[in-house]
Amino acid sequence: MSNKMKNEANIIVTKNIKKNYRDNGIEVPAVRGIDLTIKPGEFAAIVGPSGSGKTTFLNVISGLDSATEGKVWLKGKLLTDMKGKELSDFRRDHIGFIFQSYNLIPVLTVEENVEYIMLLQGVDKAERHRRVLEILKEVGLEEYADRLPPKLSGGQQQRVAIARAMVSRPSLILADEPTANLDSKTGAGLLDMMKELNKKTGMTFIFSTHDEMVMKRARRVITLKDGRIAGDETKK
Amino acid sequence: MWFYIKLAWRNIFRNKRRTLIAGIAIAIGLASLILSDAFMIGMENNIVKSATASFLGEAQIHGDGFRETQEVEITVRNFDEVITKLNQEEIVDKFTPRTLSFGMVTSPADVSSVLLVGVAPETEIHLSQIDEAVNRGSYFTGDDNHDIIIGSKLAEILEVSLGDRLVVTVAQAETGDLSQELFRISGIYHFNMKEMDSGMAFIRLEKAQQMLGIGSRVHEIAIKFKDKTYAVQEELPFWETYSQGGNEAVSWTKLLPQLKAFFDMTGISLFVMCLILASVVVFGIINTLFMSLYERMFEFGVLRAVGTRAAGVRKLVIFEAGALGIVSIILGVILGFVSTLLFTKTGIDYRGIEFAGTTIKDMLYPEMNVLQFIIYPIGVFIFMLIVGLYPAFVAGRMSIADALRKSL
Repeated sequence: MSNKMKNEANIIVTKNIKKNYRDNGIEVPAVRGIDLTIKPGEFAAIVGPSGSGKTTFLNVISGLDSATEGKVWLKGKLLTDMKGKELSDFRRDHIGFIFQSYNLIPVLTVEENVEYIMLLQGVDKAERHRRVLEILKEVGLEEYADRLPPKLSGGQQQRVAIARAMVSRPSLILADEPTANLDSKTGAGLLDMMKELNKKTGMTFIFSTHDEMVMKRARRVITLKDGRIAGDETKK
Repeated sequence: MWFYIKLAWRNIFRNKRRTLIAGIAIAIGLASLILSDAFMIGMENNIVKSATASFLGEAQIHGDGFRETQEVEITVRNFDEVITKLNQEEIVDKFTPRTLSFGMVTSPADVSSVLLVGVAPETEIHLSQIDEAVNRGSYFTGDDNHDIIIGSKLAEILEVSLGDRLVVTVAQAETGDLSQELFRISGIYHFNMKEMDSGMAFIRLEKAQQMLGIGSRVHEIAIKFKDKTYAVQEELPFWETYSQGGNEAVSWTKLLPQLKAFFDMTGISLFVMCLILASVVVFGIINTLFMSLYERMFEFGVLRAVGTRAAGVRKLVIFEAGALGIVSIILGVILGFVSTLLFTKTGIDYRGIEFAGTTIKDMLYPEMNVLQFIIYPIGVFIFMLIVGLYPAFVAGRMSIADALRKSL
């Protein structure tokens, strides 16, 4: 299989990704050369201790941060060469994000938060409304469409964040420590829900985490240590 | 677009106290501008009225060269023709002829030089306020040609009072021979304007013409327009029409250039005040917007992460500045209206104070007009949007990864 065909067949392909930060004038390596391939529909966890480069690696593969060296292909497109509008639009159309502290816009209702990406995509109002209600039903929040996020519990807010990430039907969902701010019961419930959605929709989920619950549920666990892959285990 | 406007509007109320404080600061600036402008207009109208309605008139016609030399030989050319035309002039409300000459007024106690004005009492009352200013005696009642009306200060200098006699001496036109007449003081006026109260005396027009030996000619025709703004419209054909055949027609802006310069200067002062207020307010707004920006850094990071273009984030920040502007404008317009309204009721007492050679006679009242509540608020709004550009630029340029990292 040629490299091009390989890149197109996979969701993510990274080649020798390196990322250095400057800290007080000193170059600090956060990611030291990662080659990784993620296939469509995977439910993978990137694990490792604090400072191992998990979040930095997620930022680079999603185009939120630039790589110091190396290349990232996302759905066969060379992400590391994209800039400005092209990169923003590509992220909007192909990647959904779930953040540790939910990060919903507090002045927008649940429905407005969820529909925001579709608004950026230019989806018409009726279709937006239909899809928002559909995804809110999936995450069990159809009755909360008119509520403002501060009126919801942490678990409910994270469900809204999941709905926001999935509503535009991206190929890839990146979740940075999605259960870190939740109690174990709520976290477990959410993970089960995401696993179910992964099965149902075929969307690829990648988590950065050091939560045992996530690791248990992930079908593939990629371990990072000092900015390098220290282990890559796919469960049977 | 509407989404960003809605979001910006809601965002500025997330920290109500901060928005209110910033809004009040801007509102005070706006209200000050409205009030200052209303005062400027009130003061301008008041001074112009004091200057033109007391005696000068809104415009005057003279023979060429009279204004510069004050020579009594220089009279209005084609007087009858000019009068006929003025009678048909649509924009002219009233006019009156005058003679003007310097002369000596002598009493048993003292002597003083004056500007002796020959007036036609029946038309003069429409142009000047001498009749209203007479506080002792009366204004040319009857038909005695030897009546003279003098100012209160002149009466003091000459140590005379009502009914006393004065000798008036003037030089005749052409020959320069002295002409003397005995007058009886029939009225004493008080304008509260030094030059008029001490340096002018009024006699009947026919008597003045006779003393000066100018026949039925006059030195000046003072004019009042139907609308006072005609006086400042230099493009009106009126000025050209009456500035022919050896005459010149001039408005008060040329008769009192110092007043025009004073008003121009007050306009500049208002502009400078705008600049000072703007620069004071600008730092407040930038500070507010940056505080709001840094507080929500992660939120902006999330917006960018999910696909909002940099331009979208810039738009949002500018709209927030605009929304803050709208709140400030509403507060400022209310504050400006109430404070101006208050002063239109109470007024400010500047009576007796002299500005650019003109003494204010009436209470000073600010004058509101619709433009003050349109131009300044629009100016503030545009200004807010411009000020918002800098934080918007910073928000658009922020690194998404840094923004996401900062609040974690």
